[in-house]
Amino acid sequence: MPDLLATWSGELRAQAALFVRAVRTSFAYKPALVLGMLTAGLGYVVPLLVWRHVYATRASPLAVPASQLFPYLLMAASLNFVSNMSVESRVGQRIRLGLVAIDLLRPVDFQLTQLAQALSDVLLNVAMVLPFVGLSYALWGRAALPHDAAACLGFCASAFLALLIQFAIAFIFVQTAFITFSSYGVFYAKTALQQTFSGISAPLALFPPALRAVAERLPFCQTIHTPVSIYLGAISGHSLVPVLLVQAAWAVGLLLTGRVLLGFSLRYLEIQGG
Amino acid sequence: MIKESLRVYWQAYAASVQAKLEYRADLVVGVVTAMLSQAAALSLLWIVLSAVPTLGGWTPPQVLFLFGMTAACLGGSELFFNQIWLLPQSIVMGDLDRLLTYPVRALPFFLVTRPELHALGNLFTGALYVAGSLWWLNAAWYVWLTAPLLWVCGIVIYTSILVWLACLSFRFVGPQLSSMMVGHNLLQATRYPLATYPRWIRGLLLLVFPFGAFHYLPGSVFFGKGAPLVALLAAPIAALLTMALAQKAWNHGLKHYESTGS
Repeated sequence: MPDLLATWSGELRAQAALFVRAVRTSFAYKPALVLGMLTAGLGYVVPLLVWRHVYATRASPLAVPASQLFPYLLMAASLNFVSNMSVESRVGQRIRLGLVAIDLLRPVDFQLTQLAQALSDVLLNVAMVLPFVGLSYALWGRAALPHDAAACLGFCASAFLALLIQFAIAFIFVQTAFITFSSYGVFYAKTALQQTFSGISAPLALFPPALRAVAERLPFCQTIHTPVSIYLGAISGHSLVPVLLVQAAWAVGLLLTGRVLLGFSLRYLEIQGG
Repeated sequence: MIKESLRVYWQAYAASVQAKLEYRADLVVGVVTAMLSQAAALSLLWIVLSAVPTLGGWTPPQVLFLFGMTAACLGGSELFFNQIWLLPQSIVMGDLDRLLTYPVRALPFFLVTRPELHALGNLFTGALYVAGSLWWLNAAWYVWLTAPLLWVCGIVIYTSILVWLACLSFRFVGPQLSSMMVGHNLLQATRYPLATYPRWIRGLLLLVFPFGAFHYLPGSVFFGKGAPLVALLAAPIAALLTMALAQKAWNHGLKHYESTGS
């Protein structure tokens, strides 16, 4: 037992050190950071403007009123930005360059190391997204804040589970890079599915029935739609706990799937020469 | 002299394509996922058009034309001129040193030497959307003939704007690609009719970053949105102007290039 504790304590210390280093690296290129914020903001503004036009031109009301839709879209964009962890590009590049061999030789768990690095990206992203949350409060006031204290707590738990799910999905997708030696395809595949089914462009209530039925059966809606719905009070009370349990089940299931797939992928690993 | 330069560019491009073809599985995955990505882009359009019959006065097939032209333009630029995305990294690593000693014009040579074959997915899907929309709209023969010319103009405009933005990396040295993502996101914004956006954004996308010139303005002429026939000239004029400015930005940027010490 003491041996096991010592091993885990060593693992945690190593992961914490990696986390701190990764945060420092991310903050090193400040102009790139500012440009990154602007770029991401630009990408998220387009659906907002399209919906603004739709609500301005449509005579009859939609399933979601404008007073709820726009805070939803801004929170969805903020959460999506926060959960941008670059897992595919980082791991994919190391596979392509053969550097993954060094990672695998280290006496730390590969998946946990990637998770620690991914969470450091999240910390940086949270710092970058805070001004936009402030902006949403300035624009929509109370409607942009958590519905109540329970919603705030529920959102924190749900957002953390959403991050784990996002990481787990990216980790599963990046396994194909062990065979293809490129992360381009997997990155775009994951992004495409995320954009379509997560609810980032609209709440699921506005989806056409066929698209909604598919979205509800996939894990992507657990990464955006669920936490934002909790934040805005659309999911509350007794329904909160089952929703969080479903998210936790997705997170555990996907993380374990990733571990199993890593075992298979390593059989195909070819270290690229000099 | 020009013929000789073109031969060199072509040989460099062909060699780069061969190198890329070494990764067959990656190519297949990349093409399929690029097509998937373009299909996913239609999801928001599907959601929006289930709420309203038209978007800014544009019907579903007309908006599909904009989506297709944007995807095809993106695919064309990635297929022929993708290396621009690696300029920030090349500056950090000092990789331009060798390029600058070659007896060819540096910018076109740099652009053509790293094609992205996944772009075929964007290109095929874009062409499919455009052909589908024009067939759906019963477009006249001259629209079918003009579309490829507009596509070429779109590639030039998009690539040139990427060059402007990439040249910022000569000043703000760092390995990130964010500056070019501004151009990418602005291009993607023009998948929706510009009439959807506030006036100042329309101005930005027609005059400063003239992405709207190669599909929105011609579409407005073809689909009877009240634009005059002369608006068709906007695409080639914008292509020439943006290209000239891209060369200027590159020349200016090179003056600030410092190489690396190691």
